[in-house]
Amino acid sequence: MSSLKRMEALVSTILRAGVLMSGALILFGLTLTIVTGDTSYPNGNMDIDWLIRGDPFFAPSHILFLGFLTLIATPVLRIAASIYVYTKLHDNAFTIITTIVLFVLMVSFTLGIG
Amino acid sequence: MYLPPYVIYAFLISLGSGVLGAMLGMGGGTIMVPLLIFLLKVPIHIASGASIIAVVATSSAAAVSYVREEMTNMRLGMFLELATTIGAVSGAFLISVMSEAALRTIFGLSLLYAAGTMFIQSRKMERSWAQKPNDAIAERLHLGGNYFDSARNESITYGVSNTPVTFIISYVAGIVSGLLGIGGGGIKVPAMNAVAGVPMKVAVATSNFMIGVTAAASALVYMRNGYCDAFLTAPVVLGTLLGAFIGARLIKQVRGVDLKKIFVAVLLVLGLRMILSGVGI
Repeated sequence: MSSLKRMEALVSTILRAGVLMSGALILFGLTLTIVTGDTSYPNGNMDIDWLIRGDPFFAPSHILFLGFLTLIATPVLRIAASIYVYTKLHDNAFTIITTIVLFVLMVSFTLGIG
Repeated sequence: MYLPPYVIYAFLISLGSGVLGAMLGMGGGTIMVPLLIFLLKVPIHIASGASIIAVVATSSAAAVSYVREEMTNMRLGMFLELATTIGAVSGAFLISVMSEAALRTIFGLSLLYAAGTMFIQSRKMERSWAQKPNDAIAERLHLGGNYFDSARNESITYGVSNTPVTFIISYVAGIVSGLLGIGGGGIKVPAMNAVAGVPMKVAVATSNFMIGVTAAASALVYMRNGYCDAFLTAPVVLGTLLGAFIGARLIKQVRGVDLKKIFVAVLLVLGLRMILSGVGI
């Protein structure tokens, strides 16, 4: 199998796994919310520290946000995988282009603090 | 036990939008956002925040089959993503300084635009598409490509022309996507098809790939800005995904043209209502 073919198979797997995992997390989080009635919501803003610490408490909304993050991470991973391929192919122009796209995605995460 | 009616209604609204979106080859966000606003009285910022995350979901789900069919032009998509992601981040920042009324008016105008392009499409069954050669930038970056058209049973090679114009339109599509919480495929597909001369099927698949990346950039800004209501977004994402799944299976049984005519009417009504409510009538 050529590296391009392997890449396409990998992308397909990333996409399917990402959608299934996030769908499962969101379904689980929503079910937990409905069953326990726990609608606690630490703060309005998305905060990665809060998500990792699970602090001050672990609520169903944590699982929901984890599901949303998994979903958003899927296309980001797809970009990261293609940087690797373009590097392998010694395609300098596209290594730079995809790296900038990934950089913008990262910036959007760190700058969007309301 | 916690099950407010809005969770169920949000699920049903996005289920319907997801079915229609998949059947018409567009994201569900265009109809979902106005319905969430009018039926559930959700503020537009929150409705767009829920929608943009659902858009990421449908894009990734649809992309699985596009990747398999090798329709997506990854090089062209990646190149245009330079413009679109930067546009999306600008748009998502812009939303925090814009009023509900202004956003409703802009959203309404974009619905009317979508109605217009869909009306033209439904009139012209055979899309006029002139194959164009690569221009200088496309030649240097090898943006052209080829795909196997199963309907015509032949391999089709195409070029990419008017690259600078397509790039600028992509930036605008990014702003609109970030600002309104929709995929923006309604702008990207005609740009790639009519301006750059890329075949329709490739334009749709490439636009879908781009939408996922663009929406991811916007979604992160929305979340950090606190425009993501977890208990609204969760049923919206699940409803849209299930709807898209059903829609993809229904598509073979319904005539596209009839569906488009109905949809044009729906878009017109929603668009006018959005503008009227935006300007305070």
